[in-house]
Amino acid sequence: MGIVEKTQKKGTSKKETREIVIKKERCKGCNFCVEYCPRDVLEVSEEFNEKGYHPPKIVNSDQCLFCGLCERICPDFAIYIKNNETEPEKEEKPISETTHGLFNIVKSKYEGEFFMQGDIACAEGAIYAGCRFFGGYPITPATEIAERMAKRLPFLDGVFIQFEDEIASMAGILGASWAGAKSMTATSGPGISLMNENIGLGMMTETPCVVVNVQRGSPSTGLPTSWGQADMMQAKWGSHGDYGSITLCPKSPQEFFDLTIVAFNYSEKYRLPVFILTDAIVGHMIEKVIIPPPDKLEIINRKYTKKRPQDYLPYEAESNLIPDFAKAGDGYHYYVTGLTHDERGYPIMTEEVQKENVTRLVEKINTYSDDIIILEERDIDKADIVVIAYGITSRTVIPAIEKAKKKGIKVGYLRLITIWPFPEKRINEIARNIKGFVVVEMNLGQIVLEVERCAAPYTSTKLVPHAGGGIHNIDDIVKAIEELAHEKK
Amino acid sequence: MKKSSIEINKHPIDKYLRRDRMPHIWCPGCGLGMDITAFIEGTKQANIDMNNMQIVSGIGCTGRISGYIKLDAYHTTHGRAIPFASGLKLANRNLTVVVFSGDGDLFAIGGNHLIHAARRNVDLTVICVNNFIYGMTGGQTAPTTPVGAFSSTAPYGNFEKPFNLVGVAASAGASYVARWTSLHTKRLANSIAKALSNKGFSFIEIVSPCPTVFGRKNNRSDALGLINELRDRSRIDNSANPTEIPITNYGEIVIGDFLNEPRPCFSESFEEGIKKTKERIEK
Repeated sequence: MGIVEKTQKKGTSKKETREIVIKKERCKGCNFCVEYCPRDVLEVSEEFNEKGYHPPKIVNSDQCLFCGLCERICPDFAIYIKNNETEPEKEEKPISETTHGLFNIVKSKYEGEFFMQGDIACAEGAIYAGCRFFGGYPITPATEIAERMAKRLPFLDGVFIQFEDEIASMAGILGASWAGAKSMTATSGPGISLMNENIGLGMMTETPCVVVNVQRGSPSTGLPTSWGQADMMQAKWGSHGDYGSITLCPKSPQEFFDLTIVAFNYSEKYRLPVFILTDAIVGHMIEKVIIPPPDKLEIINRKYTKKRPQDYLPYEAESNLIPDFAKAGDGYHYYVTGLTHDERGYPIMTEEVQKENVTRLVEKINTYSDDIIILEERDIDKADIVVIAYGITSRTVIPAIEKAKKKGIKVGYLRLITIWPFPEKRINEIARNIKGFVVVEMNLGQIVLEVERCAAPYTSTKLVPHAGGGIHNIDDIVKAIEELAHEKK
Repeated sequence: MKKSSIEINKHPIDKYLRRDRMPHIWCPGCGLGMDITAFIEGTKQANIDMNNMQIVSGIGCTGRISGYIKLDAYHTTHGRAIPFASGLKLANRNLTVVVFSGDGDLFAIGGNHLIHAARRNVDLTVICVNNFIYGMTGGQTAPTTPVGAFSSTAPYGNFEKPFNLVGVAASAGASYVARWTSLHTKRLANSIAKALSNKGFSFIEIVSPCPTVFGRKNNRSDALGLINELRDRSRIDNSANPTEIPITNYGEIVIGDFLNEPRPCFSESFEEGIKKTKERIEK
């Protein structure tokens, strides 16, 4: 019976006993009972229940007439008058203890199968990967990631801070990263535009962190509660200048979880801010998510230098093109700047150093592109037409492919899980053996430009665009496949 | 013998400077060098572990300070030194984080970050070098340029009311606020030591001479003349209300330790709140 408060009073007639029972765990603090009790028996208590409400308490038990008004007026079935006839309570674990409430989020172990929202899966993925610093600013449809982190991080010795804007959020996670924490922010639309300044700083100073963009309809404020895929090019070219970048694109809450871990691994391995570009559908979709035990998935942690401070140069990259870190506060006295710098980290304003610095930022990603690129392929060997899609759009494409196959067209499916670096090699390879590509994306033509570039000499490319806020019509996709299949080469 | 002769020629502050980057880029008569000396003096007084010290700056002449002090140092984007520093401090509370930047960086483009960090009382020491103008870009109007002073974007004199920096910081919630000039090196050093010891958001404004840019545009290009002017115009008043002492073009500059009212810093409040919640859960 656990959370029950009783008061007992001998009944006036016979040998009947009656009492007021308050089921505190059910109370939502409306205070109707307190307000309407004709004898002022009840008062709001100081204590909290599991949900964080103040349940009522009994203060003037001798005044109670057991009129039962409280029982009738309570919207939450949390108070009643018990008499001899009332069925005795069985020792039972209240449902609220197992499924609801902030405290349960904090207490629970996250391992196993869950019915989970995409944004929350992302936050859990980050925590799994070891993220212990989240700096962000609320924006639909990415807010749930921040809210989840706000609930979870303080109990994992992490820090959550809601900054004054997205500019500060991005700067803050860079600072936290230099202090040694795996850090992350999540935003959408206008927020990502504000972050781009400091994303450039992160690229130039080679600071590991993860930036999640839950895309909404755009440009500008666009469709705050709806979706789009129109930030694809911005993820590559958003901040000014040349730099190599990594962008991953999940299609489901499960993949949102998995790819967040991959993003952290890439960011630590290649030393840069890594983007996850998803959209409001995946962000708000609730699906099955499997979270494996803590040591099941590979987690890459930061590589610190073994050199002594006097021998250490912060931006001296060995042949692997990726410099080692030094820990803040360990006496390395490094200098980090957004200015063009040499291997000492010192600003040098010459043509040679500029070339060396920027080339390495681009090349360190190009060199490892084979390791970074993740693709999903189906039936490409036998295909005449290959449909290319990514993120949520890839789920619309599947029934369209089935429909086209029934019409006798050989269709393959290529899903880009890594968007940047762009899988040029593979697309070029496929282009030699097929009749054409159909690119399905929720914008008016972004990734299609890249596909055209890689496919151009060998095959043609057709775009099925969508401006966002809805989903593609399957027949439009089928029509594009048919047109391309029957095109004379 | 040879070794000791090298040591004799070593300036005592060299230990804390990136000697391979000397001489620095600042103009003759610039106050920034003096400010560094006072800063190093202050850190010694406060007995801070130099390895734990992190210097963060934004962009501009003062922004270059991080590149000359031989400590872990970060030269961030324009105006964003404070949020970067907040991230550093909150992710590793053992670090002593100092933001050293200019008036344009901290109060124009970075103004929002400053007031919010002060409101949260993040444990940072923010040293703002105020020279009344944008120096590095060639003398444009800053949010501190006094009414009537000339700049390259105020060719007929500035008409805008400037910020009173100590007033803004105090109103926003800073728990330690002081203002000195570059000339008051000893008092400034003491003040920096106090700020470093304060667990919370400390703000120090250093009124610093810029003869080359501010001076030249305002008929005060003689470096010595400008520093003497700062001496003559300043008056120490530790009891002054920081919100009531704006700086004008030629008027009095009230300096002093205006405010020292420690309150729980962000990390402490955060920890305290979580501790309470934990207790509630364990019940």
